[in-house]
Amino acid sequence: MHVQGHYFPKASSNYQPGVANIRDTLVEISHDDQLISSYAISDISLTSGLAGLADELRFNDGSRFIPSDVNYRWPFKTNKHDLLERLEKSKWAIIAAIVATPLFMWLMLYKVVPAIAVYSVDTLPHSVVEQMGEQSFAVIKKLALDPTELSAEQQATVQQHFNTMLDALALEKSVYRLSFYKSQSFGANAFALPHGRIVVTDELANLLADKPNALKAVLLHEIGHVVHQHSVRITAQSAASTIVLAVIFGDLEGIAEVALGTGASFAQQGFSRDMEREADSYALTQLEYLGYSSNDFADAIEALQGAHTTENEHLKKVNNLLEYLSSHPSSQERIDNARK
Amino acid sequence: MESIHPTPSQSNEPNGQPLTPLSSSKVQFSGKGGEFFGIWIVNILLSVLTLGIYSAWAKVRTMRYFYGHTRIDGHSFDYLATPMQILKGRILAVIVFLIYTFAVSFFPLIGFLFAIAFIFLMPWIINQGLRFNMRMTRHRNVRFAFKGDYGEAFVNFILLPIASVFTLYLLMPYVLKRIDNYIHSNISYGNKPLTVKLKGETYYLTALICFVVSSITMVIFMAILGLFGLDLLNVENQQAAQDPVKMGIMFGGLMIAYVVMIAIVTAVWKAAIRNHIFNNSQFEDVASFKSELKPIPYAILLLTNMLAIVFSLGLAYAWTQIRTSKMLAEATTVDIYPGALNLIDTTQEQQSSFAEEAANVFDIDLSLT
Repeated sequence: MHVQGHYFPKASSNYQPGVANIRDTLVEISHDDQLISSYAISDISLTSGLAGLADELRFNDGSRFIPSDVNYRWPFKTNKHDLLERLEKSKWAIIAAIVATPLFMWLMLYKVVPAIAVYSVDTLPHSVVEQMGEQSFAVIKKLALDPTELSAEQQATVQQHFNTMLDALALEKSVYRLSFYKSQSFGANAFALPHGRIVVTDELANLLADKPNALKAVLLHEIGHVVHQHSVRITAQSAASTIVLAVIFGDLEGIAEVALGTGASFAQQGFSRDMEREADSYALTQLEYLGYSSNDFADAIEALQGAHTTENEHLKKVNNLLEYLSSHPSSQERIDNARK
Repeated sequence: MESIHPTPSQSNEPNGQPLTPLSSSKVQFSGKGGEFFGIWIVNILLSVLTLGIYSAWAKVRTMRYFYGHTRIDGHSFDYLATPMQILKGRILAVIVFLIYTFAVSFFPLIGFLFAIAFIFLMPWIINQGLRFNMRMTRHRNVRFAFKGDYGEAFVNFILLPIASVFTLYLLMPYVLKRIDNYIHSNISYGNKPLTVKLKGETYYLTALICFVVSSITMVIFMAILGLFGLDLLNVENQQAAQDPVKMGIMFGGLMIAYVVMIAIVTAVWKAAIRNHIFNNSQFEDVASFKSELKPIPYAILLLTNMLAIVFSLGLAYAWTQIRTSKMLAEATTVDIYPGALNLIDTTQEQQSSFAEEAANVFDIDLSLT
């Protein structure tokens, strides 16, 4: 067997044309019938084949022989060397990959990662959650919150509603803490931090001043977030999916990465909407349990919707179109859910 | 692959004189879209199935495919890194990344400390990455090498970019010139260093052209907005916002203008700078380069790449990589001098690819082409 090619001596840019002959357990390299070198097949390292590339022989002294025919494959190669090449050239493997890849990605991002996140949240020590909450709170306070301007009695009233509900639900007062802040950037709003601090803005307290039960519904919704450990879960999830994407697509570049990032953030917003629904249903259940009506919750959402749309009415239509981009379910869906 | 080289024994010209090249030829790229598509899609599937472990093998196969199909004077490049090297680096990088993400998401204030540490670590990571990539590149049994210096890297990649912020980015083209100069003048092929002579004027002129192009596009932006009765400077006058169809067409128009602008600016910058670097670099007595990448065809290529990827839901990615490599190869001519036959490989043995992987996961892309 004569294989035409080039012989490259060790660590040099020099090379010469040559012919490789396989003789039993040896490969002999010669040029014009003059023997240059001969090597035992067992001392040759082979590389796995790649489409359209010559199958080079790497000898143990650092020299190489490269066949001129890029499609030539050495007969002493074992099957495992060319398994990948065969897979990459097989129509069925390619079709299977096109179908299976998105499926596995979906499983990974929507099923496996959330499951891991839930599990890891349960094993997280309480002090870590406390730290995480306090640090985020410090950052938010600096960026978006001003001292409250509510009267002491208005604060006391809401605080008292809050405490009564905590007692009735047998929740720890040292964990669930209520604070009031004025906030230009949040407007009428309330939010919960992972360690149990719940913030109500002055704007919200004023908006719902004459609907105390609606305010209770909002508080219950926020308590729901803490009970279900939503913020810890979403943080763990976003960290985990970032890692999954970085590991799988470490060397994707440019536009492909942008597309993936967009996909991942859609997934993230999806989780966030599911969590809002979970908190909503917590609020609805507990409202019934405490003897209020789920209509109180609908009232609250309606009032909030009113407050926010007067601020930027012209964007309302666009907002409805972009529902799938939002971190919350649409207000209408939430109201309908409460009223049914 | 028929080469017209004389055999080594004939090359005994003395060094140090201006020599006529032995050969002058275009870089050839023989990769095929269909072939690479198979490699790419199987890579992704196996990477997903093995929870990312196969991605190290995937990277090596992709690199080997592109290196192996790129030929200068009939001889291909070799990518020498082994999957295990890449995997070890990747595992280390993921551990660091894990600690970083969790620390930052659970304790936001610690993120600040990480950022400081990262600034000081970055020059080292960049150097290591370049060193690894160069050492893993071989042509005709001789490896490339990169000798970086922490201090210089710190000045070029950290200090000067920060300083340029205070000059309203007027210093930026100069900084980019310094960075390109640092990267290329530290490369050597075997025992032969690359000599590079870059000019600041070219960088400033190119930056100016890019600025003019983006300004023109901004004017077109405004014209489109005006056409739909949306005056960004006048908040009261926003009737167009009431009509979702109009809004849709308008956003569509803006998107197209924006994407076209990105493609043109990228192409103008990359073509001019690549041509400048190639035309002013040489391995003395060994090889000199010429690049004639034309901005308009390159912009069209980038634009059609983007469209193809979006409309094929990503499947066209493999094809776009191949045609890009093809265009870059066709724009490049290499002259080979007699010294090319007497080079000696001086590179030492392997190192882990951690830094390069860390750079990859943290997304600091420092591509050399």
